[in-house]
Amino acid sequence: MSTLHVVSHSPFTDSRLASCLRVCASQDAILLCGDGAYGLHNPALQTRGVKVFVLAEDMQARDLPLPDWADSVDYPGFVQLSIDYDKVNTWL
Amino acid sequence: MSKSLLVISRQAPWSGPGAREALDIVLAGGAFDLPIGLLFMDDGVFQLAPHQDAKALQQKDLSANLQALGLFGVDDVFACSHSLAERGLASPASAQPLNSAEISTLIDRYDQVMTL
Amino acid sequence: MKFAIAVFSAAHAPSSRRALLFAQAALAGGHEIVRLFFYQDGVYSAANNLVTPQDEQDIARQWREFVSAHQLDGVVCIAAALRRGVLNGEEATRYQRTAVNLDAPWALSGLGQLHDAVQTADRLICFGGP
Repeated sequence: MSTLHVVSHSPFTDSRLASCLRVCASQDAILLCGDGAYGLHNPALQTRGVKVFVLAEDMQARDLPLPDWADSVDYPGFVQLSIDYDKVNTWL
Repeated sequence: MSKSLLVISRQAPWSGPGAREALDIVLAGGAFDLPIGLLFMDDGVFQLAPHQDAKALQQKDLSANLQALGLFGVDDVFACSHSLAERGLASPASAQPLNSAEISTLIDRYDQVMTL
Repeated sequence: MKFAIAVFSAAHAPSSRRALLFAQAALAGGHEIVRLFFYQDGVYSAANNLVTPQDEQDIARQWREFVSAHQLDGVVCIAAALRRGVLNGEEATRYQRTAVNLDAPWALSGLGQLHDAVQTADRLICFGGP
C-alpha cells in the first residue's frame, strides 16, 4: 500500500516535514501545500528520493520555482493523487 | 470487514485540548469495536511520561484516559522510539516502541491514517 | 470514489479554503462525498457569525452554500463545538446561552459520525493547520 503525505507547515519553523521524511516509505509521495510549499527550498526533500508534489496555487502565490525533482498539481490533480495513493496522511 | 484506522498523536498533553481530542477519536473508535491503532510521535510522546501532575494546571488527568484504552479494546498502542530518545524519555510501559522503519510498516498496514 | 473529508481548522485558515476547493473538485470529478466532519477548530468553519470584509473571501459562507447546494452531510462534532462556543438553537437553550451561531445545513453530532464516515468512504482526507 502507498501513502500520500500532505504537509502544510513550513519546514523552516516546524518539524512535521522532518518527521514525515523519517517515516515515509519509498512507494509514498509527499504533497506540499500552504507554507509547506517552502519545502521546495529544503534540500532534504530532494535527497530523500520520494516523489514530491506541490499545490500549484501555493507555489505561484509564493513565487517558488518548480525544481525538476517535483511536480505541481491543481485541485483536480490533488483529488487524483488521493485516489492514486491508497491513503492520505495529512500532518495536521 | 471493518476498515482500520491509525491515529498518530503528535501533541504535548498540556498545549490545549488537542491531545485529549486525538485520544477521544481513538476511544470512540474502540467503543464502536473498530480496529484502531494509536502511535505517539514527536511531542505526543510526552503524554506517556510518568508522574505528571494535572492538578498543578487545574486540568483533568489525561493519563486516566490513556489507561482506559485497554478497556475500550484499543491494544495497538505504539510510541516512536526516535521521538522518545530525542526527548530523553525511557520506553514507556504502556506503548510499544517502534523505530522509523517499523513506523513506515505500521502506517502501511492500516487502511486510513490521521496525524494530529 | 467515496470521500470522507474532515476539517480541523477555522474559516480564516488557508487549510479550510483548501478543504473546500478539494471538496468542490471531488464533486466536479464525479466523486461522492459521504460526509464532511468538522472537528477541533474546524467547528469555527461552520459558525455563521463570522463577518468578513467585503473584499475578502467569506469561506464560512462558501462552505454553507456548498453543503446546501449539494445537500451534503455536514456534521460538526458536538463536544468540540460546545467547548468552543459554537451552538445551535437546541444547545443554546439547553445550556442557557444567548448566542446561536450554528444552523442548517450543519448538524451537531458525535465522533461516531467520523468513524462511520471512515467505514463508508474509500478515502479519508483531513485538512487543518496553516
